[in-house]
Amino acid sequence: MQHADTIVLPSRSAQLGAGIIRWFKRATAIPRRDPFAFIGLLIFFAFVLIAIFANSLITHDPREILFDENFDLARNLPPGGEHILGTTFSGRDIYSQLIMGTRGALLVGVTAALSVVTIGTVIGLISGYFGGLTDTLLMRLADIALGVPFLPFVIVLAAFLGPSEWNVVFGIALLLWPQSARVIRAQVMSLRERAFVEAARVTGAGSWRILFVHITPNVLSLSFLYASIAVGWAILTEAAISFLGFGPSDSVTWGQMLQDAYASQALGRGQYYWFIPPGLCIIAIVVAGFLISRGYEEILFPKLKD
Amino acid sequence: MVYVLKRFVHMIFVLWAVATILFFMFRTMPGSPLAAFLDTTTSAEQQEALIRQFGLNKTLGEQYWLFLTNLIQGDLGQSFFFRKPVTEVVMGVLPNSIILMLASLIIAYIFGIVAGAYLAWRRGSWVEGVGIPLVLTTRAAPEFWLGMVLLAFFSFQLGWFPSGGANTSGSDWESGWQRVTSLDYISHLALPAITLAIYLQGLPLLLMRSNMLNVLQEEFITMARMKGLSTSTIVMRHAARNALLPVATAFALGIGGAVGGNVVVETVFSWPGIGRLLVNAVAASDYPLAQGAFLMITGVLVIMNFIADVTYHLLDPRVRDATR
Amino acid sequence: MLLEVRDLVIDYRATRGRVRAVDGVSFDVPAGAVVGVVGESGCGKTTAVRAITRVMPSSAVFASGSITLDGIDLVPLSEREMKKYLWRDIAYVPQSAMNALDPVWRVGRQIEEVLVDRGGMDRKAARTRAEELFAMVGLESKRLGDYPHQFSGGMRQRASIALGLALSPKLVIADEPVTALDVVIQRQVLDTFTELQKQLNLSVILVTHDISVVAYVCDYVVVMYAGKVIESGPVAEVLDNPAHPYTMGLYNAFPELGGGDRELSPIEGSPPDLLDPPKGCRFRARCPFAIEACVSDPPEHQVSAGHLAYCHRALEAGALRETAIKTATWVGVASE
Repeated sequence: MQHADTIVLPSRSAQLGAGIIRWFKRATAIPRRDPFAFIGLLIFFAFVLIAIFANSLITHDPREILFDENFDLARNLPPGGEHILGTTFSGRDIYSQLIMGTRGALLVGVTAALSVVTIGTVIGLISGYFGGLTDTLLMRLADIALGVPFLPFVIVLAAFLGPSEWNVVFGIALLLWPQSARVIRAQVMSLRERAFVEAARVTGAGSWRILFVHITPNVLSLSFLYASIAVGWAILTEAAISFLGFGPSDSVTWGQMLQDAYASQALGRGQYYWFIPPGLCIIAIVVAGFLISRGYEEILFPKLKD
Repeated sequence: MVYVLKRFVHMIFVLWAVATILFFMFRTMPGSPLAAFLDTTTSAEQQEALIRQFGLNKTLGEQYWLFLTNLIQGDLGQSFFFRKPVTEVVMGVLPNSIILMLASLIIAYIFGIVAGAYLAWRRGSWVEGVGIPLVLTTRAAPEFWLGMVLLAFFSFQLGWFPSGGANTSGSDWESGWQRVTSLDYISHLALPAITLAIYLQGLPLLLMRSNMLNVLQEEFITMARMKGLSTSTIVMRHAARNALLPVATAFALGIGGAVGGNVVVETVFSWPGIGRLLVNAVAASDYPLAQGAFLMITGVLVIMNFIADVTYHLLDPRVRDATR
Repeated sequence: MLLEVRDLVIDYRATRGRVRAVDGVSFDVPAGAVVGVVGESGCGKTTAVRAITRVMPSSAVFASGSITLDGIDLVPLSEREMKKYLWRDIAYVPQSAMNALDPVWRVGRQIEEVLVDRGGMDRKAARTRAEELFAMVGLESKRLGDYPHQFSGGMRQRASIALGLALSPKLVIADEPVTALDVVIQRQVLDTFTELQKQLNLSVILVTHDISVVAYVCDYVVVMYAGKVIESGPVAEVLDNPAHPYTMGLYNAFPELGGGDRELSPIEGSPPDLLDPPKGCRFRARCPFAIEACVSDPPEHQVSAGHLAYCHRALEAGALRETAIKTATWVGVASE
């Protein structure tokens, strides 16, 4: 993967610019090369577009309680006519809620993913590169983080800090960084011994410079992969927290829709059109994350010996 | 044996660390008992209860010592809501959670292992093309949503299963064992267990399939064919046995991981387990109970990880001898 | 004659096309004899020989030929019928016993498995027989309870031999049985193997790339190159009077098993790509004695009783041998 002619030692601004581009290309190499990842990215961007244009896509205000012509509460209406996916028990339009929910999902998903992967990458880099006591301490910390049950922790967090999406982000960032940290640490440890690092050291580059300029680009693709799984994780967690009643009450999220459906006895009434779509949306984004991350690649397509 | 000891010490360390984190969470975070204590809207009675439970009138150091010593003796305080010792309340519901966990894990793993081996055998066929996406979907779906769908269809619509709880209310049983093995209990257990199992089976399935694909390439499988052994013997006694090792570890680890999934599934099905207890305790601001439930869940998680480590170590003769 | 292989043709389906790994190979295995099949890696010897057991990779295609064991042609048999011969009549000793033994089963259990499943013995009888087998190969019976990774390389090879002999087969196919071992152990294992072979009057096909092993152990030798047999016959005769340049070169390239300090000279170059093999003699490009005529298929030449060679210049073999002994002959040949 590394050839002598691509060693980047930016000393002039022009080289710096070219170097940054190359740096970025290396970091995004994997997702661009793979068809499954491409599909995943497509799905993901479809949702991003929906989130951006949500206001134009919705048919009603998601939180508005609606009434029909006779001034009766427009509740539990089946899909059709004005309401593409029908209405809830309180008379709200389901389709609009679904569309608007994209925003909440992506917001939580992306923020959480970025946070946890940043922490994981930084810790992985430091732990892997410097080794020794730092490494031992950080890995013990990882063990502790892994020893805390995830969902219960977020529940308690939500209970103490108040219902808000940020509890999910916080909880994920605090407890789920070890996964990516460990893998990145392993990668850094193997990169540390490679020729291009030696070359950089010989030309007098300091440890931190080597770490950030030379080693980081090579682990960023790994970070990216973990980030795409983390988005899914975050959305699933937010849904669970909202479902349990600890989520934010002011915004519309898919988890909330499900909580609303459950609490309003939608199950008993067989209002599948209400609670199935939010679930399907969640599945779609999480699967997109799987596809992008190729995390299952080794599991699905192990190399066959001939 | 040195290895087992090392892992045991490690387990104690993590337990202690998490208990300490819990201690600080329940005392120093906004919204915690301490904050409630300092909040002027809490009644005198509540304040008294908080002082009693959490020793809030002592220094933090003294509180911590009290906390640890009580913990080791198994004293987790008194539940505000139930007015009974937390330990008693928690132990009362713990069996239900464990049964649910074990039932779903067993279903998930038996299915996953068999299906995974089958998919490996049918490599490149349409079965694989349909099966893999299906499995990915089960891993991507929220467990409680799966539960909702199953509940709506099999319970409300078809009426095949009861819609919640562990026993029909008002029923009476001679002993805990009788209650748990009764048809009534099992019919209540069915849907939540299946829901969790659907979610959990993805891991053993994909893992088993991947391992099988690798093992079937191995030289000793060719040798088995040379010996003229029957296909079923080769697949089951040699290929599967080798492929099974990592799956066995995953099983023990899965126990720890299933605890979290338990929480939502228990809520959907109103299953009286420790996850649901935690949720209710938190919602009711029953801090001692919440703390106790959390500790119990953590304990199960950490102990299970330990057992997983040790089990794999013992199961694989190569690993066992390497560290002798 | 125990085994007769005639005009065996086997292809591999590769991504680039069909590779003809074995192109019309014929040889005989007399009862009670050790036949060495020798050649470089990739010459098709393993493929040809494994075809006898019919356990081949899924990309292998049996194109044509006959394999007759004790008068019965094995080729037209169904999978189920063929299975009956496996291990009972035809046994296999693999190259690397480390990978060939199931790592999570005890070695003794693996031997007993074959005795019970295929030999119809009960557990006790199987246990006794397993101990017998281990004694035959010079292993202590208490080792039966060990796992493969607890054995040393030489011991594992002996265990493989014991496994192979379990059902007293008529024919044992040994595929590079000592290649993975160091030279001293090689000799010990080969000695044990030869002793057993004589004792039990086994017929053996021994596949190897090391001609000194052939010299040490075999009665007959079949030399293969690029999917074809280029020389065959009694070992002493072929090695003393090689009639094909390749055989002459092989002998120069290996140290003698018995110790000796002949100067080594490898044959330069590499075998042709079998996706598109060259016309005529396939050794042409690396042969120091190649002439114009070599662009056409070499004829079969009977050098002496039972000794065949496939070379246009087989008649001049005596003179060529003189030149072949000199190392200089082999230098700079492949550049043609």
